Amino acid sequence: MKDDRTNGNKPEIMKKLLFYLRPYRFYVAVSFVSLVVASLAELLVPVLIQHSVDSNILGTPPNIAGLGTDCLILLTLLFLGLGASFFQIYLMSAAGLGIMKTLRIQLLEHTLGQSLSYLGGRPVGSLVTRITNDVETISEFFSSVVMTLIKNFFVMAGVLGVLFYLDKRLALITILTLPPAIIITLLFRVRAGDAYRRVRKGVSAINAFLSEHISGIKVIQVFAREKRTMAEFVENNNKLLSSNLSEMYVFAVFRPLIAMSSTISLALIIYFGAGLNQAGVLSLGVLIAYLDLIRKFYHPLQQLSEQFSIMQSAMAGGERVFELLETEDRISEYSRDRPAGVDFCLIAEGRQPAVEFADVHFAYKEGEPVLKGVSFSVAEGETLAIVGYTGAGKSTIANLAARFYDADSGCIRIAGRDIRELPLKTLRRTVQAVQQDVFLFSGTIRENICLGRNFTEEELSAAADTARLSPVLEKLEDGLDYHLSEGGTNLSGGQRQLIAFARVIAHDPAMLILDEATASIDTETEKLIQTGLGNLLKGRTAIVIAHRLSTISDADRILVLSSGRVAESGSHSELMAADGLYSSLYNLQFGRDL
Amino acid sequence: MYFPGLICLVVTDAGQLYIPQLTKTAIDMVASGGFLLEAVLRIAVIMIILSVLIAAGRFGWRFFIGGSARKIESGLREELFSHLLRLPPDFYEKRKTGDMMARFTNDMNAIRMACGMAVVSLVDGIFMAAFIFIILFSQYPLIAGWIVLPFPVLAFLVLGFGRILGRRSKLVQEGFSALSAMVQEIFSGVRVLKTFTREGWAVEKFADANNEYLSRTMSLVRIWGLFFPLINFLSGLTALLLLWFGGREVIAGTLSPGDFAAVLSYLSLLVWPMMGAGFTINWLERGAASLSRIGEFLDAEPSIKSGLSEQPVSGAIEVRGLSSRWPGAAEEVLSDISFTIPEGKSVGILGRTGSGKSSLVNLIPRLYDPPPGTIFIGGRDVREYGLEPLRRSVGLVLQDSFLFSQTIKQNIGYADGDLSDEMIADAAEFSTIDRDLKNFPFGWDTMVGERGHTLSGGQKQRVAISRAYLTDPEILIFDDCLSAVDSETESEILRQFLEKRKGRTSIIISNRTGTLSHTDFILVLEDGRLSASGPHEQLIEAKGFYRDIYKLQQAEDERR
Repeated sequence: MKDDRTNGNKPEIMKKLLFYLRPYRFYVAVSFVSLVVASLAELLVPVLIQHSVDSNILGTPPNIAGLGTDCLILLTLLFLGLGASFFQIYLMSAAGLGIMKTLRIQLLEHTLGQSLSYLGGRPVGSLVTRITNDVETISEFFSSVVMTLIKNFFVMAGVLGVLFYLDKRLALITILTLPPAIIITLLFRVRAGDAYRRVRKGVSAINAFLSEHISGIKVIQVFAREKRTMAEFVENNNKLLSSNLSEMYVFAVFRPLIAMSSTISLALIIYFGAGLNQAGVLSLGVLIAYLDLIRKFYHPLQQLSEQFSIMQSAMAGGERVFELLETEDRISEYSRDRPAGVDFCLIAEGRQPAVEFADVHFAYKEGEPVLKGVSFSVAEGETLAIVGYTGAGKSTIANLAARFYDADSGCIRIAGRDIRELPLKTLRRTVQAVQQDVFLFSGTIRENICLGRNFTEEELSAAADTARLSPVLEKLEDGLDYHLSEGGTNLSGGQRQLIAFARVIAHDPAMLILDEATASIDTETEKLIQTGLGNLLKGRTAIVIAHRLSTISDADRILVLSSGRVAESGSHSELMAADGLYSSLYNLQFGRDL
Repeated sequence: MYFPGLICLVVTDAGQLYIPQLTKTAIDMVASGGFLLEAVLRIAVIMIILSVLIAAGRFGWRFFIGGSARKIESGLREELFSHLLRLPPDFYEKRKTGDMMARFTNDMNAIRMACGMAVVSLVDGIFMAAFIFIILFSQYPLIAGWIVLPFPVLAFLVLGFGRILGRRSKLVQEGFSALSAMVQEIFSGVRVLKTFTREGWAVEKFADANNEYLSRTMSLVRIWGLFFPLINFLSGLTALLLLWFGGREVIAGTLSPGDFAAVLSYLSLLVWPMMGAGFTINWLERGAASLSRIGEFLDAEPSIKSGLSEQPVSGAIEVRGLSSRWPGAAEEVLSDISFTIPEGKSVGILGRTGSGKSSLVNLIPRLYDPPPGTIFIGGRDVREYGLEPLRRSVGLVLQDSFLFSQTIKQNIGYADGDLSDEMIADAAEFSTIDRDLKNFPFGWDTMVGERGHTLSGGQKQRVAISRAYLTDPEILIFDDCLSAVDSETESEILRQFLEKRKGRTSIIISNRTGTLSHTDFILVLEDGRLSASGPHEQLIEAKGFYRDIYKLQQAEDERR
């Protein structure tokens, strides 16, 4: 299972994680000081009680005034502890959350920078989990584990110090009870780690099963496979149950055993303490203080089990996060030496770029070439329609021109320059490859047109007019500020299309590649598209990957692609007269499209 | 299973309560001066035995109660899934997958906590608190009133905190969901972002949501961070009160030093039950909310109920005056459709997108329910047949070819599991997927990935066709399931289909008149109505939609 690679190099991951703590050095330092103060305050309480019992309460004569003073000191200590603990927790949480934020943004930025072929090969769900859940566990690790571990270590060392200070012999006896507890803890670590991995595996198996079968419910019902599906589910579910139970048993054994060790050392202390007291070398106050201290000594060990779980998931999450962060699969910024100065003005004012494909070869997967030596050119301001069978490589042309993929060989020139010499940003500002399968973000129509760029009100309404979106906007209550739900489902397909057109017009690329939707489109949408499309293509060099008659008839020239090669090109009437592939395709495809 | 668990819990608690009594006796012995070391030894030994007993008790309640909670969770998950399997597709269409998944994850966790930890801390809290109060007030009435003062404050705080924590953590949870939804959307729309080079905008938007989430979490931390230190503070305060009031009693001689130590122990035992009380309420509330969310699913009626007839499903398909609309929709998808398909005939259906072709064929195996008395097979209403025999007899290849993330072989054999290599080869040849075999690195054992994403659209569709072919049903329906296959392959598959299915009932939805011409007769649907029907030859003679399409496609056929 892919969610179960916790066997990576843990110290390595820990080192990488701790690296993120660097900007928070100050927080960590102050938090550490608060920690010391809080732990000291906590430790001093039993010492103070011991002191008061011995010298004020059991003293001869008893000292009530001294008792009062001690109570005041105790109260101060308690307040000090309260303040310092809060401060410590708050600061470390702030650091943990800060790291979480940094890591999330870094992950998103990094992942968005990867090539489409990389992103297309990974399920969206798994990317989302990396950025959300996995980062969350890392943050939890910083806010609740790092300092607690230090604190627990500190408290145990401190308690031990106090024990020795109070009485060396009893302290030695306490230490003698430690080895079994340590062995139990070490055993627990191993067992809990195994159990954790099994549970993770079970959880991710059942989640994958559920999400798949919920999506595929129709297939299950069509084949009447409910019974077997249920049997498979029960099998997964039982596996998860048994690994959950065995994890629970590990914890159910560990904590009682540690508590038992604590009580056993208490019993030993009482026995030996009584002996020492009888011999006159141990005060009663020290004995009472010991009873409290033993509990404090074992408490951190008990807590360890919870922290261990958090640490496990943080390490597993960290491993997955770093795996994503360290994968590089980008379209390189400049794969050729770049002549100076081209990034600013690729094309002169008022001009449009010409495009040239020269003997372009390309394969998405090795051994399955999609383009096998395609050459053509589009003149300044010309509209070229590309037609061909499904799988002929039409959409690939759009993918290559905008450098979503790099051609394997051959050359693509825009305005006379090899596109690999251009900065990616300049290229993509010039050439926009738009898919007609509209994707809208949830948010307002305005946000969807601007995509974060600043357009003036005039520019926006001009774009809406040109795309014929304005009549739609007038009907909506909030106009441009109409709120779209996820996927824009509260508008019709045609309306969504017009928003996408307005988006392109506002961003005003010098050259446009439009990949028309293959799916059948209803008549209302068709009508709306007709009106917008002409305006969209006006005044731009354009390549249209055409699936509809209307688009083809608007084109200046038509290119017929057949299994990765250019078969024919020319105007509609020329090609029909030639009676070749185009005319057969024309009849077949557009007849079929009804 | 709860009962033995509760007994273990009570034994544990009783043992824990007894230990301070033992320490008290021991300390008093020591304080009195003249004592026998053997007597102390006896106490120490009793303590050790008791500690073993407590450890066993602790293991016991975790084993029984924790185990029961896990089993309840697991059983509920099973019940929920088994119920979901029986719900019709329109139940699923109304809901997001992520939302349904949450029922199985978050809600199940909440219920488990309510059945497990909440029960433990409730019983533990009541038992411990009651007994400690009884011991304190009966044995040390003089000081008990003073030292327990902080506890009502503590209980009150925990309750109040619990509410605020609940509210704020709900906000945090919502912030987290918003964040996830946003990342999901950004990755789904990554192509748009790259096209317009607006990746930076997406990151900015995300950073805003991230900041919002951060500030919500910080407001939770401000409360949460105070919680444990405050608990420590209050328990320290009780020690302080004991030192002052108890100390004076010791000095006055009305309280023994052993009692002093015992009270100190009791006080520390009281802290956790008090905190537990607060958590219990939180756990129970959340568990109840989750249970009602799951209940909402369990209460959904499986509206398509199996009929009682045991008869084999075969014979002519007869549709009488069928009208149908989607729930809540004003317009009818199908209106007043009647036709008969004699047994063993092949039928084509032609119509524009949205003309109701899919709706019609989905009604036959009752994926959606037809009104009573509208669709008959072998003279019997489809609603009277058992659902499983009906669906096994009516094979439907859906438009959306969903594959499971298994091997190609397992997908092809989905309906029956065990099959021989010849059967696979036959089914693969039928859909022509065998031509792509060389592209699959592990042959038929190649995994197809989540929903089959490693295959092309055409490959997926052809695997889905092989899958349905193998069930060899009485009635086989192709619901326009070749849209991603090029037209030559499509006509080849359909030709083969008609040949192999000769003598059995078949229905093909297609827009190619060339293919449809091989069927016995054709139904033409326009806007949910049956506008024409008859054999190909007859339809091309009559003026109408079918002939228009035929004419358009004829030119191409001649060219072949």
